[in-house]
Amino acid sequence: MPRVSLNTPAPDFTLQNFQGDTVKLSDFHGTSNVLLVFNRGFT
Amino acid sequence: MAQLRQDYQEFVKRDTQVVVVGPEDAKAFSAYWAKNKLPFIGLPDPKASVLKLYGQEVNLFKLGRMPAQVIVDKEGVARFVHYGHDMTDIPSNTEVLTLLEDVAKVTE
Repeated sequence: MPRVSLNTPAPDFTLQNFQGDTVKLSDFHGTSNVLLVFNRGFT
Repeated sequence: MAQLRQDYQEFVKRDTQVVVVGPEDAKAFSAYWAKNKLPFIGLPDPKASVLKLYGQEVNLFKLGRMPAQVIVDKEGVARFVHYGHDMTDIPSNTEVLTLLEDVAKVTE
């Protein structure tokens, strides 16, 4: 399974948020850092 | 998740968006966000496309996914990558916020 390496470009992706809007990781470039949290499931 | 919400303003102060990706569908996200009043961006990924892209491990024995966190800086570079070894292996906010300050120093 691929993993992300430190200090290399994070793989870009596009998903819809739960409100239906398109969110692309690269849209944050130049404006915000992103803390990506891969959730283990809602409990 | 509650832990992140508690310090959300600290993340905002550090120009950081919190983006949560999970295998549940939009309905489950919506219900969870409403119930817990979460301010973050929630991205349902029922096909696990991004989860696989980032290599989130599945714990086959417990039928759950391991937590993982990645800090991506303003240039799109991964500055911190943490893959949990078990279901409770999540870095503290203090650790993440300190790392974000270091990222800010490097990218300024």
